[in-house]
Amino acid sequence: MIVTLVSRSGREVVRGGIELSDSATVKDLQEAIHAKTKKYYPSRQRLTLPTKAGVSGKPVVLSPKSKVSDYCEKGNSDNLTVVFKDLGPQVLYSTLFFFEYLGPLVIYPLFYYLPLYKYFGYDDTNRTIHPVQTYAMYYWCLHYSKRILETFFIHRFSHATSPLSNVFRNCLYYWTFGAYIAYYVNHPLYTPVSETQWKIGFAFGLLCQVSNLYCHIILRNLRSPSVNGGYQIPKGFLFNIVTCANYTTEIYQWLGFNIATQTVAGYVFLVVATAIMTNWAMGKHRRLRKLFDGKDGRPKYPRRWVILPPFF
Amino acid sequence: MASFFSTVKRIYLAIYNWAVFTGWIQVLIFAIKALNESGPAAVYDAVEKPLQLAQTAAILEIIHGLIGLVRSPVSATLPQIGSRLFVTWGILHSFPETRTHILVSSLVISWSLTEIIRYSFFGMKEALGFTPSWLLWLRYSTFLLLYPTGITSEVGLIYIALPYIKASEKFCFRMPNKWNFSFDYYFASLAVLGIYVPGSPHMYTYMLGQRKKALSKLKAA
Repeated sequence: MIVTLVSRSGREVVRGGIELSDSATVKDLQEAIHAKTKKYYPSRQRLTLPTKAGVSGKPVVLSPKSKVSDYCEKGNSDNLTVVFKDLGPQVLYSTLFFFEYLGPLVIYPLFYYLPLYKYFGYDDTNRTIHPVQTYAMYYWCLHYSKRILETFFIHRFSHATSPLSNVFRNCLYYWTFGAYIAYYVNHPLYTPVSETQWKIGFAFGLLCQVSNLYCHIILRNLRSPSVNGGYQIPKGFLFNIVTCANYTTEIYQWLGFNIATQTVAGYVFLVVATAIMTNWAMGKHRRLRKLFDGKDGRPKYPRRWVILPPFF
Repeated sequence: MASFFSTVKRIYLAIYNWAVFTGWIQVLIFAIKALNESGPAAVYDAVEKPLQLAQTAAILEIIHGLIGLVRSPVSATLPQIGSRLFVTWGILHSFPETRTHILVSSLVISWSLTEIIRYSFFGMKEALGFTPSWLLWLRYSTFLLLYPTGITSEVGLIYIALPYIKASEKFCFRMPNKWNFSFDYYFASLAVLGIYVPGSPHMYTYMLGQRKKALSKLKAA
């Protein structure tokens, strides 16, 4: 069979098309495209069926595991037109996460250990370090170390790669907020809260971090590749009551940190992070409810909190 | 009911645009008059009141965008209006030492020319339902020169104000305090200067894109 490869503007990407055996998979097609075009490795390719005029909705994305012939129209298994889009340079998700988390892990202790505040005009010499500041540094570093370890040992990613531009955007977000919070918690003029308050804050935060880890382990075991595009209804532990229990525990974990350290910077970060995660959670909840609609033998998605009981 | 609201909307927007247009005409006339009679150092004092009024009124435009009264994306209007208000109130008004600088003249002329064209463009659209093609051309072409001159003036004035900002405690909030919060106006101003670095090309290319769209529509018509 011949696959005609066009760009979204209609131009032929590979002149003459690509010749494949009738039983070829989409993965074979991707490798053939890579061989012909040299720079478009498979994770950079987005292959879709052409949209028909007057038909709305998202274009059909070709799945690497399927056979190319699955996408052919009935009676026309000798050729297929596929639309190609270059997704730009890609990095592995694990690479992206590693660099976003490495920043805060390294930057925060810099503010704790090094006499940086004299560059901001503060006398750094006779400062006393409050116990809460030390514990905050341990807590913060534990958190980001945990994230890095989860990236390499626990998470299973739905997409293997992410655009390179996301590295810059995400690192800017994490590294800037990391520095912003580290500056205030380690400041020579920092005012600690009562011992009771920070003990409660850190204890609560740690509890949430452990819960969060457990949530990630549950999610990892959910990803069986066979049914429903890899999606299953999450269940067990907090997932029985909240769709995105992993985000919930993450948010409350930051709340614990803020209760203990009490900075405006920390709370600003909490609000922004919560907004971002809530956005993701709404999308995921919607997707799961759409997929598990109770029809055709599929189970119906149960009524659950989206992300933040008791609010939402 | 719907057409009643759309008529009210049109009347409101027409009045808004022509009113602010008048403010900017005043700014330009007073500025040129002061330049002719006394020189650049006198420009600020001559334009202060209409400038502050016309520029601050632009806050309404953010609200218009948010409530959907106009189609302009908030992502394009917010940085522009934000920087204008910062320079008008946060620099010129708060640090009088900057007012006699020659960049004030280039600033005021760049701003007023741009706004006169912009507000008359929208004012005509709302009041008469169309704009003459020469006005459309002006609206989407003068920025090619006026954005660089305006941005240079803004950045220049902020830069000149920096030593005065550093020496003063104005708008600063210091530690220690219970919420471990601080605000340093000098650092904030440096951060604003930093935003101009990616912000200016973003705004300029946005307008270039708008220009392409608008002028091609003109050709087709």
